[in-house]
Amino acid sequence: MLEATLSALEQSARLRIAGAQSLEELEAVRVDALGRKGTLAQASKEMGKVPAEERGRIGKLLNAVKQQLEEALDAKKRHFEEAALKARLDSEWIDLTLPAAGVPRGHLHPISKIQAEIEDLFISMGFVVLDGPEVETEYHNFDALNIPADHPARDMQDTFWVEGGHVLRTHTSPVQVRGMEKLGPPLRMIAPGRVFRNESVDASHDHTFYQLEGMMIDRDVSVGNLTYFMKTLLGSIFGREVTVRLRPGFFPFVEPGFELDIQCLLCGGPGCAVCKQSGWVELLPCGLVNPNVLRMSGIDPEEWNGFAFGLGMTRLVMMRYGIDDIRQLQSGSLRFLNQF
Amino acid sequence: MKFSFNWIREFTDVPQSTSARDLERLITMKTAECEGIEPVGDLLATACLATVVSVEEMPGGHHRKAVVETERYGLKTVVCGAPNCRAGMKTVYVPLGTKTIGGVESDGMLASGAELSINRDAAGIVDLAAGETLDRCAPDGVIEIDNKSITHRPDLWGHYGMAREVAAILGSELRDPVSMDLLPAGNAAIGVSIVDFSLCARYSALVFENVTVRPSPLWLQYRLEAIGLNPINNIVDFTNFIMAELGQPTHAFDRDLIEGGTIFVRPAKTGESIRALNGEDYDLSETNLVIADASGPVAIAGVIGGEATAIGGRTTSIILESANFLAASVRKTSAQLKLRTDASMRFEKAQDPENTTRALARAVALLEELSPGIRLVGGVADERKPAVPQPVIQLPLDWLARKLGRSLEVAEVRQILERLQFGVSESSPGVLAVTVPSWRATKDIAVKDDLVEEVGRMIGYSSIDPRPPALLASPPKPDPTRLFHRELRALLTGIGFTEVYNYSFVSEEEIGRFGFTAAEHVAVLNPIASGQELLRTSLLPGIRRNVVENTKYFDSFRLFEIGREIHRQPAGLPGEPAHLVAVVHARDDGARGLFELKHAAEAILPGAEIRPVEARSFEHPARAAEVVWRGETVGRLFEFGPSMEIDGRAAVLDLDLRKVGRRMGGESKYRPPGKYPSSEFDLSVLAGLREYVGDLRAKVEGFAGSLAESVEYVRQYSGPPFSEGVKSVTFRLRVGSPERTLASEEVGAVRAAIIEGMQGLGYELRV
Repeated sequence: MLEATLSALEQSARLRIAGAQSLEELEAVRVDALGRKGTLAQASKEMGKVPAEERGRIGKLLNAVKQQLEEALDAKKRHFEEAALKARLDSEWIDLTLPAAGVPRGHLHPISKIQAEIEDLFISMGFVVLDGPEVETEYHNFDALNIPADHPARDMQDTFWVEGGHVLRTHTSPVQVRGMEKLGPPLRMIAPGRVFRNESVDASHDHTFYQLEGMMIDRDVSVGNLTYFMKTLLGSIFGREVTVRLRPGFFPFVEPGFELDIQCLLCGGPGCAVCKQSGWVELLPCGLVNPNVLRMSGIDPEEWNGFAFGLGMTRLVMMRYGIDDIRQLQSGSLRFLNQF
Repeated sequence: MKFSFNWIREFTDVPQSTSARDLERLITMKTAECEGIEPVGDLLATACLATVVSVEEMPGGHHRKAVVETERYGLKTVVCGAPNCRAGMKTVYVPLGTKTIGGVESDGMLASGAELSINRDAAGIVDLAAGETLDRCAPDGVIEIDNKSITHRPDLWGHYGMAREVAAILGSELRDPVSMDLLPAGNAAIGVSIVDFSLCARYSALVFENVTVRPSPLWLQYRLEAIGLNPINNIVDFTNFIMAELGQPTHAFDRDLIEGGTIFVRPAKTGESIRALNGEDYDLSETNLVIADASGPVAIAGVIGGEATAIGGRTTSIILESANFLAASVRKTSAQLKLRTDASMRFEKAQDPENTTRALARAVALLEELSPGIRLVGGVADERKPAVPQPVIQLPLDWLARKLGRSLEVAEVRQILERLQFGVSESSPGVLAVTVPSWRATKDIAVKDDLVEEVGRMIGYSSIDPRPPALLASPPKPDPTRLFHRELRALLTGIGFTEVYNYSFVSEEEIGRFGFTAAEHVAVLNPIASGQELLRTSLLPGIRRNVVENTKYFDSFRLFEIGREIHRQPAGLPGEPAHLVAVVHARDDGARGLFELKHAAEAILPGAEIRPVEARSFEHPARAAEVVWRGETVGRLFEFGPSMEIDGRAAVLDLDLRKVGRRMGGESKYRPPGKYPSSEFDLSVLAGLREYVGDLRAKVEGFAGSLAESVEYVRQYSGPPFSEGVKSVTFRLRVGSPERTLASEEVGAVRAAIIEGMQGLGYELRV
């Protein structure tokens, strides 16, 4: 008798669970079936009427029905919760292709970028980075570099003169002199910086540009050492092995003096428009430090010698990024700078 | 400087397999930089002499039909437009194929000097004198050498000197065009008096008479034309020719126009002046060396001759000067008079005094051909300071090998130096005694380092392997300033600022806008363009220009520059403090930009204070403040005022990085976070609308005592229920102790102290 009631009760509750449309309806089913005054509680009151030998079995049956209904209710509840979560998440759809928030990152000037690269490379090889004034004494800019006043080499650089007999430095080479004066030998230094030439401006000439001077003074510094450093420098800058060659060049502060050419990176040697069909691109002047220069800075050339080079950083930046107009570099134009 | 391949080949043999282009490469790799090579006189490959047999006018009168007997191609009929074409003349024929002109078939052409690149005469066809030929007129290649690369090589300013290099490079023999035997012996027909041998080491001269001034032979015109010198007449041309060949400038005076029998070489006297060959008058001073006769200056030594004594159509007798002047003196005069000539360019490189009489000997040979019938008068006048013995340099080979970074054989080094005409002997084992030839000894080669180059370039630098040096590994000293500047760049780009570089120059107009005066700036003495007169004492004018320019393309942007200001000092070099200027531009009310920059300033300088101050003329009068860091004013934060004429608003941060750098350093010290909970409470202070929150906060903090961990601004509000002109500023206080949890009475006491203190200052508090 009770067994039949339980069976009907279970069947009806299952039907209602299946048909529930919301958590509230489901809760009502739970209260009706499993609540303290629910149908199952009512049914259990009938247990007393069950013959004693049946009681164990019916009792188990009652518990089983209760447990099964609870499970069914839970499952249905989970179903509703999952559906609700899914609906909420779905409603939170966002178009991630919209533009980013916050202030977009700014841009470093291309000269700053390349300068930092070269500085790091040389620092890793034990060089210090030195600085000198932009308004320089005539002595440091010329005389101490073996370019006395009546020397025709002064014509090699068109000079801005300022009051007090000073000049706007025409090259970063005076920092060599300052380095030797301040630190003495042995010395490994580079000096990046702004230099000035009193020339008319066009797409490939500006009155203001950037150089990077380098100098190493030690006991036995050779042309072979110079070539080694230059190859390392250029290989690092261009990110690949480069072929270089030295040929004679005249700069009063070095002896011997060289022009260093790099094998054209575009054509690799056979000749193209960039290298003017020669297969080589002139890149930097360098040489062994002239003993007069050492002597003037108080270094004994019999004991010490060294090499020096001057890298045209502006030119290098233009080569690296394919910039065809030097004037862009100091234009302050964001249309230019935003590209770096 | 241009070099004719053919001219060089007159002095040394270049193998057939070596083209002008090959030679150009060799010279570039071993001697001096070549800038290019230009073929000239291509038509001369097929040109030949021709005699005009007959000439017939053609209808229209512009052309003539000429029948010519050519030396190489037989009888030819050509149509010729040249007005000087006449029967019987000797001219030049070029076979260019046939072409019909005015109904006549013209086979080839008769050529002008200009067409053949022999000279610049395009008025008519070449009109050859009797006996003249096209000898030495062959197609040529002209090699252009970068003048800068031979600044130190006086000997390379002539073809013979370059041929000497070529001979050394190729290992071929060198033929000297000079025959000193031609110089006449005997007393000179002219006296020479040198006042100061240090200014003029040597003055040689020779007198010629029975001179005829006339065109030079074609071969000589062609040589000059090829290297860009305009052939004029035999006398002008031969001096140019000798200069281009031997590097020695010479000058011919009309002897009849020279007063007295002596040439004086002396400094000019104050008040003297001269009209030069270029028609210009020059006022001279004692720093200018002149050549003078009895009446006054006749030439500016080493620079230019005078007009009054110049060679003219009536000249029959000349004094030929071949001298050596002090390089520095010529250079100074040339710079002072702003007059650079082919002669001054050579003299300022320090020419070889031994070359003066060589040039005269060469002149004797040339003039016999160029001016037939010419006669020498007397011997050579030759005043000089005693010749210095040729210097000898001791060259230790192991030292040389260390310098180059390559091992060397004695024989190899010896051969190289000897080919370059150095005298070489082995003074002791492994040491060469090297005698420097006179043409290399004036300036170029004095010490053994100079010989490194001679050997290095000839063995070829490519034969030296790149090798890392053997030296102590030592890390470079740290450079905090440079690191700081880099960090600044990284930080600023990270928060949206883009780096600009501006010029160091400013114009008067620009600084005027900022109320700066020209007098406080370092002035550029020789600007070549406008806007370069002054050096910047502030990065602001440049940044303003950047803002104005970029507003044309962008609605809002952020820029910064790290650069140097240049400030004049009472003595010595100017001060060059590095500055950072950052700017935020937007078309809004401007507040956001200012606070963005304040944020940047605090990120750069933790704990920096922004203290409102009186604005400068170019700043927004109600938006200007100083940046104070660690007790010192290190910069300013402001908005550009309306006088800056900016479309939109531009907030500016300007930091003196030198001051900042001085105050940097000091590691932070760690303190463990408190173990005991702290308490918080809010307080609102009523204050005047323009009372600075920063000041209020400082006051509150002052009363909070040692238990206060932080005083934080929460918000401010004005409006009902507060009366007009009053705002309520809310602060959140956090109090606590590292040793225990505070009792509520202790927290209350802090609160009460603040309230009491603020009330004591007259503030009302809402609690």
